[in-house]
Amino acid sequence: MDKIRTVVVDDHVDFRRLAQVLLEEVDGVELLGLGADGEEAIHLCERLRPDLLIMDLSMPRMGGIQATRLIKAQDDPPLIAIVSIYDDSEHRAHAASAGADAFINKADFLGSVANLIDAIRRGDHVDISNSAA
Amino acid sequence: MSTSRILLLDADTERASQLQAVLGFIDYSPEVQDLDPFELPQAKPREYLAVVLGRLSAEQRDASRRWLKADPQHAPLLMLPELHGETLGFDQADVWSLDYPIRAPQLTEILRRVSVQQLDAQATPQASGPTGNTLAIRRVRKMIAQVAAFDTTVLVTGESGTGKEVVARAIHESSGRRDKPFVAVNCGAIPSELLESELFGHEKGAFTGAITSRQGRFEMAEGGTLFLDEIGDMSLPMQVKILRVLQERTYERVGSNTSRQCDVRIIAATHRNLELRIHEGAFREDLFYRLNVFPIEMPALRDRLEDLPLLITEISDELREFGRGDVRFAPETIHALRSYVWPGNVRELANLVERLAVLHPNSTVDVHDLPERYRPKSVRLAQQQEEAADLAPNLRLSDELSEFSERLPDEGLDLKTHMAEIEQTLIRQALEQAGGVVSQAAQLLRLRRTTLVEKLRKYDLQRQQVQS
Repeated sequence: MDKIRTVVVDDHVDFRRLAQVLLEEVDGVELLGLGADGEEAIHLCERLRPDLLIMDLSMPRMGGIQATRLIKAQDDPPLIAIVSIYDDSEHRAHAASAGADAFINKADFLGSVANLIDAIRRGDHVDISNSAA
Repeated sequence: MSTSRILLLDADTERASQLQAVLGFIDYSPEVQDLDPFELPQAKPREYLAVVLGRLSAEQRDASRRWLKADPQHAPLLMLPELHGETLGFDQADVWSLDYPIRAPQLTEILRRVSVQQLDAQATPQASGPTGNTLAIRRVRKMIAQVAAFDTTVLVTGESGTGKEVVARAIHESSGRRDKPFVAVNCGAIPSELLESELFGHEKGAFTGAITSRQGRFEMAEGGTLFLDEIGDMSLPMQVKILRVLQERTYERVGSNTSRQCDVRIIAATHRNLELRIHEGAFREDLFYRLNVFPIEMPALRDRLEDLPLLITEISDELREFGRGDVRFAPETIHALRSYVWPGNVRELANLVERLAVLHPNSTVDVHDLPERYRPKSVRLAQQQEEAADLAPNLRLSDELSEFSERLPDEGLDLKTHMAEIEQTLIRQALEQAGGVVSQAAQLLRLRRTTLVEKLRKYDLQRQQVQS
């Protein structure tokens, strides 16, 4: 199977670095780009056409939920995983109705991303209602 | 906007920097405002998740209040102890008391709730009523006016994205309940095992994880309107509970035996065919008749394409108001959009326009800027040919490059600058040959005119300069 071409968007530089280090270790993932807010995510996805976008929920300028809605309007949109420090029904519902495919609790980022990538590589249907948390 | 920015206005600098450290640590982007000399931020008050107010002089407090008040969508206020009990003239719902020293559970719970509020507000349709001049929409507006004043239950049907919530809000806004809350719940997006506590609330200890008691949406909507979206996706056991509220106007919190009375107007909506769901055994017939007292159907966008220009104008005006760039559509773009079927209806249109405003701010969107599915077939074909042609000069360029510099200079070269120089030379030659007519020069270079114009701008090449 081809590598999962991935973009990570988060406003905190430390978190982006952490994600980069982590994803570079994961077999089968190619990190294409990093961004700092929702608008950058839209530009990156338009230009790079990734398979997977891992994006923070709250960011300055434009947050992850709004960006998800707009990225899902492009041709061949990526799978989108929303990463959030809040994990409750309201935030999950907003992510789902914006069109996100997975919801990740930031406190369990490492484990959840690994599960998500395994699921994608197995060819499982990724659905926010049973996404790892 | 689900932002992470939090503004700190506090003359107690030690406290401000402590708060900044804590907020930064738990993943926010805190900004401590300089109070000496006092200056308000460049950003608008709506660009923050929250504004923390602490020790301020009377003058600073007034200036901050004016700055916040000027923006009706300003962020909520978190008051430090010296301001506890004060609202400074703001809506009580926008004011939270924050203890100091910080209590982590209180801080995270306030910020969690503020974030939900912000997402709710963002998901709220801005439009005051369904926009359009077609007969179908005029009929919907007339029905809204007819039913608003009564407490009748309304069922709004229509495909996804047609604007069912806009109808529900318009009813609420023209009703006697307009000064009370309008609370929306998407029943399809909340897992069925959580929906009951979401709607009716729960008592402390009602289930694992219920560490505090919590209000449900019915309670939040007291005196106002509760909008139950995607009711067709609700589980059968929940349908029984909703039926009971409609019949008896009472319910219980999860984990409680005490019945609560409620005064809430229900507006339900679904994109599903409920009669078919009844037939399949997935929807209760008695609930259907309770809801279907006054049905309103929102037409699909493809059935009212004449409204498209009006809708686009309205959406772009709204985006401009929210600080997104100005986006305009070329007439042929509108023409292309009118021949599209719009399975996602007005929501799809709004997402498209907003996306284009981000990608092409302050410019005119032409057909080529649209995602492929919106372009008419003829444009798609022509574009593929053009793109193939766009590659051609590059190929020739590289042939040329290999001819005159077969060997890389010993000291190497800056490839980017070198390529740019070759490109500029060829553009100049093409413009000379075309007598300065850009479209002809573009043809010579097998480029789209707009691509060439962009390159001229990029290299700051003026037509006159080229001609001289």
